[in-house]
Amino acid sequence: MTAALEQVPAHQTPQARDRWLARRRWARAGWLYAFMLVMSFFFLGPFVTGLLSSLKDNPNEYPPTLNIPQLTPQFIGRAWSLGVQGSGDGWQGGLTPGRQVSFEVSVKSPPGAPQTPPTVALFPYQPVSLVAIARQAQARDYAALKTEEVARSGDTRTYRVTVQSPVLTRQSGQTVRAVLSAPDANLRAQLPGGEVVPVTLDTPEAQAKQYELNEGQAVELVRGAAGYTLRGPLFERTPLQVDVQRGQSIVGSTLPPSDRQNFGRSFAYRNVTPGVLGYSFNNYRRAFNETRDSKSGRSLFFSWVMNSFLYAFLRVAAAVVFCSLAGYALARMTFPGKNLIFLGAVLFVQMVPSQVNLVSNYVLLKDLNLLNIWGLWLSGLVAAGGVFLMKQFFEGMPRELEESAAIDGASTLTTFFRVMLPQAGPALIALAITQFQGAWNDFFWPLVILRENSSFTLTVGLSNFRELYGGQGDYGLILAGAVLSAIPVIILFVVFQRYFVDTGADSAVKG
Amino acid sequence: MSQQRSQTSTAYLFLAPFLITTAVFFFYAFGRALYYSFTDFNLFNTPQLIGVKPYADVLNDPSFRRALGNSLVFALVTTTLQTIGALLMAVALNNKIRGMGFFRSAWYMPSITSSVVITLIFLWLFQRRGIANYLITQWQIYQPLVLTFLGVLLALQLGQVLWERARRLPAGWLDPALAAVSALGALAVTALLAWTGVVGAREVPPFDYQYFADKWIEVGGVRVLSVPLLVIIIQNTFTTIPTLMLFFLAGLQNIPGALYEAADIDGATPWQKLTRVTVPMLRPVTFFVVTVGLIGTMQMFDQVAVIGSAAPPDTLVTLAYYVYSNTFKAGAAPVNMASAAAIILALIILAMVFVQRRFFPSEAT
Repeated sequence: MTAALEQVPAHQTPQARDRWLARRRWARAGWLYAFMLVMSFFFLGPFVTGLLSSLKDNPNEYPPTLNIPQLTPQFIGRAWSLGVQGSGDGWQGGLTPGRQVSFEVSVKSPPGAPQTPPTVALFPYQPVSLVAIARQAQARDYAALKTEEVARSGDTRTYRVTVQSPVLTRQSGQTVRAVLSAPDANLRAQLPGGEVVPVTLDTPEAQAKQYELNEGQAVELVRGAAGYTLRGPLFERTPLQVDVQRGQSIVGSTLPPSDRQNFGRSFAYRNVTPGVLGYSFNNYRRAFNETRDSKSGRSLFFSWVMNSFLYAFLRVAAAVVFCSLAGYALARMTFPGKNLIFLGAVLFVQMVPSQVNLVSNYVLLKDLNLLNIWGLWLSGLVAAGGVFLMKQFFEGMPRELEESAAIDGASTLTTFFRVMLPQAGPALIALAITQFQGAWNDFFWPLVILRENSSFTLTVGLSNFRELYGGQGDYGLILAGAVLSAIPVIILFVVFQRYFVDTGADSAVKG
Repeated sequence: MSQQRSQTSTAYLFLAPFLITTAVFFFYAFGRALYYSFTDFNLFNTPQLIGVKPYADVLNDPSFRRALGNSLVFALVTTTLQTIGALLMAVALNNKIRGMGFFRSAWYMPSITSSVVITLIFLWLFQRRGIANYLITQWQIYQPLVLTFLGVLLALQLGQVLWERARRLPAGWLDPALAAVSALGALAVTALLAWTGVVGAREVPPFDYQYFADKWIEVGGVRVLSVPLLVIIIQNTFTTIPTLMLFFLAGLQNIPGALYEAADIDGATPWQKLTRVTVPMLRPVTFFVVTVGLIGTMQMFDQVAVIGSAAPPDTLVTLAYYVYSNTFKAGAAPVNMASAAAIILALIILAMVFVQRRFFPSEAT
């Protein structure tokens, strides 16, 4: 606004004029920052709310609040100590045989209301998994509950609920963790080392449970004189429900409830032995643990992550080698058909939508038996965009380099690998990260080509999540999956920001 | 001469992987798609040539017409919105102030994350009882306070500018310093009025709008734009603005400062500088951005596939999705129609690019 300078009336002193202009500059900067902050909320808001809500027990809570117990140090501390009580592991939590957990609930009973203690019960929790998996043992069928009053102030009484997990064996000795293997006449378990051992049920309590235990159940065994005896199953969660009478109300508990029902008289705690991971990152743990392949029992989500990494790695490796070769040839060599190749194979290819080739490539890869990651990789082996990028880069490099190499008697191949390629570091990094990002975020071709749910990449798997859980509104799982899948590219972006910003051309064309 | 020949063979050696995969997975595929589009292929039979019947079938398919309409509306609206939005943001970002690097990278976030992730987050935001509806409810609740604030702001600004002008100072209507004072004043007045109870928050029922349903914006009885598609337009604009903004920023940095100095000397207002200097100088970049935008938006697929059954099919089907769903239809899939639709999509995109280059030539593309 230097224009204002000329218009300032002559009777103003220079100092006053400077003050006027300075004031205006400051105000302009202030407005600019305000605008930038608003836009930051706009661009980052969806990610931040999604991230915060993915930690909540119920991301659909209405009205939404930013008061998230999962992020409160006090409750994280209690989750840790409950996890330690339940299993000795403050991170993973869970309930293991022989352990005892105390959980406190405060109930307000005004004079006119019933003065009875609350009703407490464990309830079953079965994961809604991608494929039905065998029923896991539930804490409800094993653990014993005890309620006692521990404090009273005014008309509020505090009760201590004790959850006691039983030991099913009388043997003593070293305890080992194992997983039950496929059922036959005898109960068998696979030790962490891979060894399969027979399991003895030496007490009536243990024998009573033998038909309820399924393959894949995590258990604790005692290695004693009589071989391996069953100490009891391991529970990942201990869901607890507390109900009070009409007129009473629950005013506090060790952890805040996951659900309130029945006008605040019925509280459900999804897990009273969460540990930090089971409390703050419950949805993230579920994404890995509750999506198991029915055949192999492996975590599907984990497979998807691995597939995405493999695909991205393959794409990057191929692009770095082949795109730079092709780019260099197009930039620096003279040969017949050069323009035709550039126009036809680089520019035209980028303009034609990939849907045109869908049927043909699908049929071709199916005939070659390549409807998997390798087929996906092969069909996008050399990205036209990458060739374009490398061509632009090599065109900008000084010719003297090649000329001096030629004078020294180097062949074209030597010149390329010894002289030009080492100089291309920045362009190769840019190429590698755009290819990684492109492969990681790729959706259309993986959706077309990958047909087995264990061979999906993360994007296809996530859209599958939507189909399966979106209807049930289980957005905790969906958001957790979305956040997890965004993390690698965000890390890449934070580290290599400069290169992203330089080569945004690729992602502009994304749908 | 022999050196020339050896260079030719080396060049083709270097290009071989690229040329072979392009030939197999692009040109061969393209030719075969063209061939399928004239046959009765359904993935399981041996293709027989049947002439242009697939094209006629496709053009007669109401679902295809809907897809075509949706794609064109989506492409035009989104390209317009994202180009204008990116331009304005680039102009704002082109100021040299501290912390600009931080803002640039923060805003770039939507561009690097996958469209699947962003679509899932938007599906969650736009639920019936989601954050979007919650924010609209909040707006309705606090509307009296906001409107009071804006009204007082306007009045104060008007008063101040007139006062300064009476003192023969050259104050513009949007003078930032005066506006800051006005904003503080308006805040104080609104707080006072709220405290005394003259204006306050209203009681409103929660805004309960279902976005992913069979709802349409109609013009003269013709269904133009569906509400689910509108949500995708918002999402897509959100995703692409940061990338396009970078192109504009690069373009802005190439505009010689002398032009603005000359405009200043002529006494141009900021608006005049934007429309008379910035926009014309950015024309090449703008055409590039529009071309890229049209190519990208015409191929929009990810969002539709992720939302899938959550919205009625007609509201979201696009050409790309039509091709996909016809190829993988249960039973005998009309692959010939899918191929024909894909060829039509390719022709539309090529025509758009051609028109762009023919009538708006620029050095940037």
